[in-house]
Amino acid sequence: MTEGMIEELPMMGELLALLFFSPIIASFPIAIAWGIDPRPEWARKLPVLSVFGLFVSLCVALYILFNVGELSPEAEPIKYTVYWLPDFNINFVFIFDYLSKLMGALTAVIAFLIGVYGLEYMRDDYRLGWYWFFFNLFTASMLLVVYSDNLLMLLIGWEGLGIASWGLIGHWFRDDDELSYVGVLKRKVAGLNMFWSPSTGGWRAISTIRIGDMPMFFALGALFALTGNLNISEIPWAGLEEKIGVVGIVVLMAAFLMGPFTKSAQLPFSEWLMTAMTGPTTVSALLHSATMVAAGTYVFMRLSWYIQPWELHLEGYEYVYILVLFLGLISSLYAALVATSTRERKVLLAASTMSSLGLMFASAAASYWIGKFAVLVAFWYLITHAFAKATLFLVAGHLIHETHDRFLCGDMEVARKLKWAFVATVIATIFLSGIPPFTAYWVKSGMDGVMHHLEHEFGLLPLALLVTISAIYSGFLGKFLSMNFFKGKKVHLHLHGGGIMSTAYVLMVSMLIVILGLYLTSHEEPFVEFFHEGLLPSSFAVGLIVLVAYSIGLFKPQLESPIGQFFSDRMYVMFLNDYIVPKIGWAVAKVVDYGNMLIDFTCHQAIPQMFEVYSAGIRFVQNGSLERYLRIVIGFVMLIVVVAVAAGWIV
Amino acid sequence: MISEYSLVVSLLIPLIATFVLPALKPRVATWISALSFLIPMVVILALLLTLQEFEVPILALNAPIGDFYLLSDPISNAFGFTVCLVSAMVALYSLPYMKHRFEEMVEAGEIKDITWEFRKYWFLYNLYAVSMLWLVYAGNLILLYIFLEISLLASFLLIYMYGYGNRQWVGILYFVWTHIAGVLALLGFLMVGFSNQTLALHSLSTIGFLPWLLIFLGMVVKLPGLGPHIWLPWAHAEAPTPVSALLSPLTVGLAGYVLLRVYLVDPSFIVEYRDVIIAYAIISSVYAGFSVFKQKDYKRLLAYSTVSQMGYVLIAICLGSYGLIGVVIQYMSHAFGKSILFMTAGAIIATFHGLRDVAKMGGMHEYVPTIANAALIGFMTLSGILTIGMFGEFYILAGLTKVYGFNLTVILAVVLVFIISGLYSFYTMKIIYYGQPAGYEKPRFSKLLDFPLYVIAFFSVAFIFPPLSTALLSGMKILLGIGGGMP
Repeated sequence: MTEGMIEELPMMGELLALLFFSPIIASFPIAIAWGIDPRPEWARKLPVLSVFGLFVSLCVALYILFNVGELSPEAEPIKYTVYWLPDFNINFVFIFDYLSKLMGALTAVIAFLIGVYGLEYMRDDYRLGWYWFFFNLFTASMLLVVYSDNLLMLLIGWEGLGIASWGLIGHWFRDDDELSYVGVLKRKVAGLNMFWSPSTGGWRAISTIRIGDMPMFFALGALFALTGNLNISEIPWAGLEEKIGVVGIVVLMAAFLMGPFTKSAQLPFSEWLMTAMTGPTTVSALLHSATMVAAGTYVFMRLSWYIQPWELHLEGYEYVYILVLFLGLISSLYAALVATSTRERKVLLAASTMSSLGLMFASAAASYWIGKFAVLVAFWYLITHAFAKATLFLVAGHLIHETHDRFLCGDMEVARKLKWAFVATVIATIFLSGIPPFTAYWVKSGMDGVMHHLEHEFGLLPLALLVTISAIYSGFLGKFLSMNFFKGKKVHLHLHGGGIMSTAYVLMVSMLIVILGLYLTSHEEPFVEFFHEGLLPSSFAVGLIVLVAYSIGLFKPQLESPIGQFFSDRMYVMFLNDYIVPKIGWAVAKVVDYGNMLIDFTCHQAIPQMFEVYSAGIRFVQNGSLERYLRIVIGFVMLIVVVAVAAGWIV
Repeated sequence: MISEYSLVVSLLIPLIATFVLPALKPRVATWISALSFLIPMVVILALLLTLQEFEVPILALNAPIGDFYLLSDPISNAFGFTVCLVSAMVALYSLPYMKHRFEEMVEAGEIKDITWEFRKYWFLYNLYAVSMLWLVYAGNLILLYIFLEISLLASFLLIYMYGYGNRQWVGILYFVWTHIAGVLALLGFLMVGFSNQTLALHSLSTIGFLPWLLIFLGMVVKLPGLGPHIWLPWAHAEAPTPVSALLSPLTVGLAGYVLLRVYLVDPSFIVEYRDVIIAYAIISSVYAGFSVFKQKDYKRLLAYSTVSQMGYVLIAICLGSYGLIGVVIQYMSHAFGKSILFMTAGAIIATFHGLRDVAKMGGMHEYVPTIANAALIGFMTLSGILTIGMFGEFYILAGLTKVYGFNLTVILAVVLVFIISGLYSFYTMKIIYYGQPAGYEKPRFSKLLDFPLYVIAFFSVAFIFPPLSTALLSGMKILLGIGGGMP
């Protein structure tokens, strides 16, 4: 495979090395300088280098997008192999197909823009080395996930995402800044703290992710043991069901998908995503748009792309895809409801991301019945969502910076003084909610079509859920705009700088307009299909519902309702993370601790003491006096006589 | 020929150094000791990369002992490399640490002359490390036993003389337990010798049930499994930290090495009782994993994590050829990770005057960032994130499917084992290094307390990439004869 490709892909090895290693290596200067001597003034200029590393990645990713093979959903994937464990048929296999090329470019663009924003946002931070190292590692890991065909290699990137997200979420490890918390400080419900510090946020993230990653890792090991191949595009997915049966496929795929489910925060693993907001806003922006959470759905799309379940029609896969479809829709509905009642800027956006991820899962899962088009819908929704969500997070970060308040607040004055933030928010919310004829409308129309096609299998339930979710979704986006720029409480602004930050998010939001242009003018699939779906009256009707919901959110952002508190407390799902699981764990730990004490006592107290008692006893006997020995002998004789009489030997 | 020659010479260097070191000044002795392990490390790495496999005869003895020879193959090279790397780095680390320890002991009036104590220390330290190095190259079970005993004696003396707390009691406790292990194994070895009329690994053919059982039980005490594990927290916590940093990463894992060698001769016992052993191993690992959460002493906490990690070794040995690869890699990854972690614990003890109570820590990243970051890599290695530990878990899981298929109970149990490792790792990171700083002064400390940790960390990460991983795993594949093509 390699031989043929080398001529086609000149310098590919070097380019890929640049792609993955330049961000990491470029972050070394700041990481090392900070490690040697924290907070020197000269070191505060080094982050520019890190961003340059991201820029190099961006150039390579764009080169790959436009120059390696044809950019079409039907194009044959191009692969490039670097030997790793050739004896085990496990190699670094890079794959360049429709999904990976676009996703790689998306990741690189977003990471670069957020990197630029971070230059200003993080300027006065106390932990720059840590921040930039993990930020760049985060990006490189995501790129590795994106371009991997080999699952073990993908797992390196996957674990890199996990550890980098942990590092960044818990970035402000001192837990001393109220602004970095999530939840209302000192608030308790049923004895449980309803606020989370950054170090807790990091712990919740990594602990949840580990729970998903290990089953996924098992699935990898099992795939390797069963097929001897770990390349997604080469694993004989159809033959697998013959080999291990329907139950085997369900177990294997469910184990595998535990990874994507936890990474993408689907129910019931959603809590970590909400408390991930303890990290710097740049991190939230990256985490929520093109890395980490997107990695979960991306991997599912990539799997579906090559499993091609629509060609197989196998029972095992069908169960799995039904599971993903409904888990996605339900998670999405849950998150949308939570987002309506959340009062914190970033947590609202976090919940909305979870909702979007649910839709991506559901739409990609519908591919079992619809075909490749469903995956494309999910994928283009991911891209649209990524730019919009990154913009909203960056704006939120800027607002938090200027208002020193992480709760929704701000009135017309904010809109006047932070014009660009206001404009970016307007565009991002309108373009994301699916109001015709803006960007997300077309892809959402495609999604309406996909869910509508499931009528034969599941009735109108999926479509009804999707429309409900879309309406709620646009409602809280309207609320977000309104509560930050129109109807929020008056705030005192601490305006300083902000030029780099606003440039970054304006560039980010302008990408939405570029994509809109693509949807409207392109003659290629899947855009033609999106366009076609968008012109249907039913899609337009949904668009109107969405517009109405958005307006309601905009003009009446706050409603008093008892159920609001329930939603705002995220339906108390955190009891699973913070109460049920730890309680069980600590109970076991306690039992185990008693066990240890018991063994310790037995081996190191009881048995040695027993020996002491015996030895004292034996020494007591051996005191050298003849009288005692005589007594013992007589005693034994008497005992024998008694026994003998009793036994009837002596008459 | 050149590789045989260089191996022998490089193995002799640390042995000779052992007897030279007491004559030198502490600082010089430190560097010589480290160098005496770095040279064989480089040689062994070269052997590992070139997939060397050979024997160097030493002595031919009569039955039932058989030939004494050095056995170099990818397995012993992998173990040998680990021993050398960790020993060299811990040697460097010993200088500032033991200086601190000796000063403390002088204050307490327990010793008088620091230089004199350093002479004893360097002799015992090098003897301890070199005996483990020779152990992995020993091609005869008796030779192997001899080195096992030497390492035991040297480490016992180090604990007895320089340990913490009730060190004489702990030393004897350690001695008795490991002797039980040694005697059981020796009995097993002798029975093997009498039935085969040799103890040379290359001429052994069968190992009966009883000798296998004795060796297995002995090694379970040493490894340790649940039950006998109770000696380990005492010994690891109260030993001076450089000794803990050899004891836990290298010594206990060598029990896994012995089992592996015996398995390669005759796997009958493990194959026969696979289900019982794996159940015991899983319970032992989960049990120890849960114990970690309750520990209040940093070193004791790490000791329980060792028990949990050694459970992996015992699990892996039940899982066929892939499992055996898992044993080797698990040994390496645990050695890398745990030596880093024990050294971080020691660095905190040395810079904060005996601080080891976890409850008094918190936000330590504020005061010792380099140590905290090293600890992170250590825990990443234990939980298999971005380090060699990843391969260990991968091969264990692949072996699991090969041997047990889709047996849900076993799958869930092993997955639980791995999850718990990840959880206690990051829980410990959180309570010790993050959160609100506990209010100490930011200390200044010797570079030797943190730099060696990063050298080990480098290898821990480097081993997932070519050429190291390629060579290591190719060697394993050839040696363990996994399939002709691919499964």
